[in-house]
Amino acid sequence: MATRQIMRRKVAARPADNRTGDLFAVTPAVPLAVPPIAPLPRTASVHRQLWLAVQLTALPLVAAAGDSRPCGVVAGEGGTRALVACNEAALRAGLSAGLALNAARARVPDLQIHERDLLLEQRHLARLARWALGFTPLVSIEAPDALLLEVQGSLRLLGGLDVLLQRVAVELQAQGHAALLGVAPAPRAALWLARAGGQPPVESQANLAGALAQLPLMATRWPARTLEDCTRLGVATLGELRRLPREGLARRFSPQLLDELDEAYGRRATPRRRYVAPERFEQRLELPAELGSTTALLPYCGRLLEALAQYLRERDRATATLTLMLLHRDARPACVRLGRALPTASAVEWQELLRERLGRTTLAAPVRALLLRSGPAVPASGTSGMLDGCGSGAAHAEAEAFALLDRLRARLGEQAISGVCLVAEHRPESAYRSLRPVPQPARASSVVPLLPATPRPLWLLALPEPLAERDGRPRHSGELRLESGPERIESGWWEGPEVQRDYYVARTSRGARLWIYRVRAGADARHWFLHGVFG
Amino acid sequence: MNGSLQALLAGADLWRARGGGMAATGACRPSGWPRLDAELPGGGWPLGTLIELLLPETGVGELSLLLPVLRGLAAEPPTHARRWFAWITPPHAPYPPALAQGGIPAERLLLIHAAQSEDRLWALEQTLQSGHCAAVLAWLDRVDDRWLRRLKLAAQCGQTLTVLFRPLRHQSSGSPASLRLTLEPGAAGLDLAVLKRRGGGPVRVHDVLGA
Repeated sequence: MATRQIMRRKVAARPADNRTGDLFAVTPAVPLAVPPIAPLPRTASVHRQLWLAVQLTALPLVAAAGDSRPCGVVAGEGGTRALVACNEAALRAGLSAGLALNAARARVPDLQIHERDLLLEQRHLARLARWALGFTPLVSIEAPDALLLEVQGSLRLLGGLDVLLQRVAVELQAQGHAALLGVAPAPRAALWLARAGGQPPVESQANLAGALAQLPLMATRWPARTLEDCTRLGVATLGELRRLPREGLARRFSPQLLDELDEAYGRRATPRRRYVAPERFEQRLELPAELGSTTALLPYCGRLLEALAQYLRERDRATATLTLMLLHRDARPACVRLGRALPTASAVEWQELLRERLGRTTLAAPVRALLLRSGPAVPASGTSGMLDGCGSGAAHAEAEAFALLDRLRARLGEQAISGVCLVAEHRPESAYRSLRPVPQPARASSVVPLLPATPRPLWLLALPEPLAERDGRPRHSGELRLESGPERIESGWWEGPEVQRDYYVARTSRGARLWIYRVRAGADARHWFLHGVFG
Repeated sequence: MNGSLQALLAGADLWRARGGGMAATGACRPSGWPRLDAELPGGGWPLGTLIELLLPETGVGELSLLLPVLRGLAAEPPTHARRWFAWITPPHAPYPPALAQGGIPAERLLLIHAAQSEDRLWALEQTLQSGHCAAVLAWLDRVDDRWLRRLKLAAQCGQTLTVLFRPLRHQSSGSPASLRLTLEPGAAGLDLAVLKRRGGGPVRVHDVLGA
C-alpha cells in the first residue's frame, strides 16, 4: 500500500524554509502570529520584479452572497448609513455605491440589504491569497480588497504574461469575483494601474513613468481632502502632480504622499508582508482494496491520525477541527467533519471521536482512499494533549470535562448537546437561553442576572398549555387549588411578543404543584394556561 | 449499652441488618431530608452507583427532593473535576432560573437530547465513565437488565450522583440499582417507599418535602 504525500500548494508555494524538509509538509512551518516580511530587493537591483495587482471590485457583494434581486451592502451608523456596493439588478434600478441608505430605499423599496461584514471579506481575501499562491510564492494582501502577486519568476513556468493574465481572469470569475488587473515593475504602480481600469500591462521600468503619467489621481485612493487640494491646484493626473516641485509637495501634503509616489515610480522599495497560508496537515491514503464497512476503515484512519499527531507534535501545534474525506470510485466523496472544544494533537483523542462518528455513518459506496485534512494548526501551549506535566491541574480537568462533550457531539450531533445561560428578562420563557458550552471558567462570575424573588418551577413547558376550565376556574385532571399568587408579569410592547399574565402556584388533586397563569389582555384574555411544574 | 458495644456500633466495619442500615459502603451525600437520611444506608444518597426513582408522573416533586443534594454537590470544591450536572432527555426543559435559585449555577448544566433509546443509554454510559459529572439525571423509557448492569459498572467508575427516573410500573421488575424508591404525592408532601437499599429491607418515609 502506498502512502502518498500531497503537496497542497504546488512547488512554488514553498519558500526557503528549511524546516519544511519533512514528508508531511504542506505549507511552510512559520509561526502564524507574525507573518514574516519578505525583504524585497530594490527595484534597480539585479533581481527584476514584475507585479500583478488584483483589485477586487465587488468584494462586499461577494461576501454578502445575495441573489439576483436588487441587493446592496450597507455600512455606517445612523444617518450616514450608505451603500458600499450593489449588485447588477440594483445598478439597473439606478442605485450606486455611495448612495445614502434612505435614498436607495426610496428608489428601490424592495432592496435587499446586507450589513457589511469586514471580517468575512477578509476571509474571502485570504482564500484568494491561498489561491494566488498557486501562481507565485510571493503574494501580499493589500487590505481591504486587493492582492499583489510578484510574477516575474513564474512567467516562464506559466507560459508568459498573457497566458497568466488570462488564467487569473478566468479563475477569478469562476470563484465569483469581479476584479481589475494591473501589471507593473513596482507593486504600487501595479495597484494604481489596476484601480484606474483598462490599463495595458507595463513590463519594463522604462515605460512605467509614461503609463503612470495619465492615471487619474482617484486611482491612488488618497484621502478626499488631499484629492480636493490637488483639484484646486489644477492637478488631475499623476503626471501633472509629479511635474510640481518636490519641495512644494512635501510642504503641502503629508510625507506619505511623496513616499507612495516614489514607490509607484520605482524609486523607492518598501518591503511587503508576504502572505503565508495557515499551516494545515493534509495526507491521502490509498486503501489496499475497496472497503465497504466503516469498521474496516478505522485502522487506516488511525494511521493517518498518527501521521497528523506526529506532524503537529513536531511543530508544537494542535488543531480543533478535522475533515476526513472518504473517496469513492464513482460517487462524490463523503465528508466527515470533526470538531473539538479545545485543540488537541493527540491521535487517541481524535480516534475516539472518529470511531463514534464512523459508527454512525453509512457508506454510500465502497471507499477507495482516505484524505485527512486538519483545520488550522494553532500553537499547542495550553491545549489538551500538551498538558501532561505542564499547565495547572484545574485547566487540565477543564479540558477533560470538555472532551466529554466532544465525544457526545461526535455521535449524537451538534444539536444534541447544549448548555444554558441566564438572561436578565421578565418573561419567564426568555429568562435563559441555550448555548454551546465553551471552556470559559471566568464567564460564570461576570454578569449574573438578578434572580426572581418568588419561586420558579423547576420544569418549564416548551409552550404554555391551555388548561380546561369550569366556571372560570382552571382544571388539570381535576380541580386545581390555588396556593399562592398572583404574581403579575408584564413585558413592554416594544420587547416583542407582549406578555400580561397573572401567575399562580396551584396544586392538583394528586398533589403535584403547578405554575399556571391567567392572561390579562388580548385574544386569550381571562383564560388559564399551564406554564411550569414545580417538580 | 456499654461503651465497647457502642464503639463497635459506631465503627464502619460492622454490618447491621436493621436500624440505620449498614455502615457506609461508599461515598454518600446527605439528602437534606433528615427523616429520609435516617433510612438511607450511609446517611444519604450514595455516589458512584445507580439510584432509581420510580414516579407516577413528572412533577410529583422529584426535583425538589434532589435539590438539596444537588446544591451540596454544586458547592463542593473543586468545581472543575466534576463539572457537569447532566440532564439526559428530561421530559420538559429544566428551568435554569429556578435551578439557580436552588443553588445550581446555569453554566454547569448540560442538556443532552437523544432521540434513539440506544443513544440515550450510550450517552449516559459516557457521562458516567468520564467522571466529569457531579450528577447525572436520566429519564429512560425503556432499558433492559443488561443495560442497567452496564450502567451500574459505568457509575462505579466515578463519584457521580446517578439518578434514573423511571415510570412507576417498573417497581415490581428487578433492577441492579443499589437504591430504589417510589415517589408518590402524599397528604402533606411526598410519600417515599424505599424498595431496595443496601443492608436493609423496604421502608416507607411519609411526607418528605412537607413544611
